[in-house]
This record gives sequence, C-alpha cells and structure tokens, in this order.
Amino acid sequence: MVAAKKTKKTHESINNRLALVMKSGKYTLGYKTVLKSLRTSKGKLIIIANNCPPLRKSEIEYYAMLAKVGVHHYNGNNVDLGTACGKYYRVCCLSIIDPGDSDIIKTLPAEQ
Amino acid sequence: MVKFLKPNKAVIVLQGRYAGRKAVIIRAFDDGTRDRPYGHCLVAGIKKYPSKVVKRDSAKKTAKKSRVKAFVKMVNYQHVMPTRYTLDVDLKDAVTVESLQAKDKKVAALKETKKRLEERFKTGKNRWFFTKLRF
Repeated sequence: MVAAKKTKKTHESINNRLALVMKSGKYTLGYKTVLKSLRTSKGKLIIIANNCPPLRKSEIEYYAMLAKVGVHHYNGNNVDLGTACGKYYRVCCLSIIDPGDSDIIKTLPAEQ
Repeated sequence: MVKFLKPNKAVIVLQGRYAGRKAVIIRAFDDGTRDRPYGHCLVAGIKKYPSKVVKRDSAKKTAKKSRVKAFVKMVNYQHVMPTRYTLDVDLKDAVTVESLQAKDKKVAALKETKKRLEERFKTGKNRWFFTKLRF
C-alpha cells in the first residue's frame, strides 16, 4: 500500500532524538565509518539520507542486513541530515553506536 | 550487531589482482596484528573458475573442465564485500598464517585448497560460489 505520509510531528521527534544522541551518545558520520561500525558490530542504528546514491544505499542496507541492524531512511537529504546532527556539513549516512540518553533505537524501528 | 565476518563466510574480493573473485574467510583478525593494525582476514578463493560442464562431455573433458585454481591471501576488511552465503569447507588445517610465509608452504596449502574446492564443486553444492561473478 501507499507508505504512510511522514507527519511533521514524527519528523520533528526524530530530529529531537537525533539531537539528544549528538549531545549524549556516540555516533559516527560518513560512509566509511558507517561500514566500519557495521563490520565491527558496534553500530546499533543506521540513518541514511534520501539523496544517497542508490548503489551506496543498497550496500549499506546489505551490510545492515548481515549485521541485523536497523536502517532508517531519513526524510530529508544530506544537507538536512547534517543540519539535524548540528553540523555545518552534509551527512549522507550516520551510525549510532551508543544512544546515550535517547530512546531512538527503541522507537525508530518500531515506527517502521 | 551481529558479527558476520566469521570463518566460512563467502566474500567477494574487491581490490587487487583478485578483484571480483569469490573467496571464503578462513581466519578473521578483527583487531589486527602488529604488522597489520587494521581488521583483516585470511581468505582462500578461486583464481580460475571451473568451466561449465555439459552432459555430453566425455569423462576426460569433464575432469579438465572441473579444475579450480585457488589463491590464498590476507585481505583488509575494506577490500572485501561480505555476502549472505557461506561455504563450509574445512580449510583451517590446510591454510594457516604460516603457510603464507614460505613459498613451499604456500604451494602445499594451495594444492590442498584446490583439491578440497574441486571435490566440493563436483558434488554440485554451493553452486553460487563456483560461478563467476559477471561485471
């Protein structure tokens, strides 16, 4: 069926949770480190921007499938994801290693 | 959160002379060693894939077509693409880290690997592993 329209409310809550992870948790930004975190089974949640090249997106999803780690497709491009992380650069994919105080890992896969 | 770069995992080598070849992880070094301070693994792979065997081939031709040439290599995790396939061929005793040090040990290891891969190919199992990756 048609995918549920991402309401503004859930989108904002993802941004809030992400901000909390940036403040209190451990994360890595960028394709190379995301793959590294998946190989060493440290990554707990992967977030991919919507303008990520499809080959790279499939590769990250495949690794995440092997590692049994959730992947969230962020509703925004890499510019938006970078802003959501509080950075002044573009972020195409990021891996959350330790969520800190945030409950992003519990709530995000449950939404999908 | 599950470690997947484990022994018996089938992988595809991405860089180097053997780029595009399928290999199987024999031993994984997640934390690296003194000489290689990065995650790497010892893989044994197929250098030359066996040709397609047809029913009308004679026994001599089948034997010639089923030959496999193997390679053994230490590869960085970054230069390897893991797959969802596994190949449970016991190569732990044949291929070791020491077998890469000296030429005669390497030749012996390759011979043993070749033998085991060929007999696995002849049973018809793990067909994906023995087909060439087209790219």
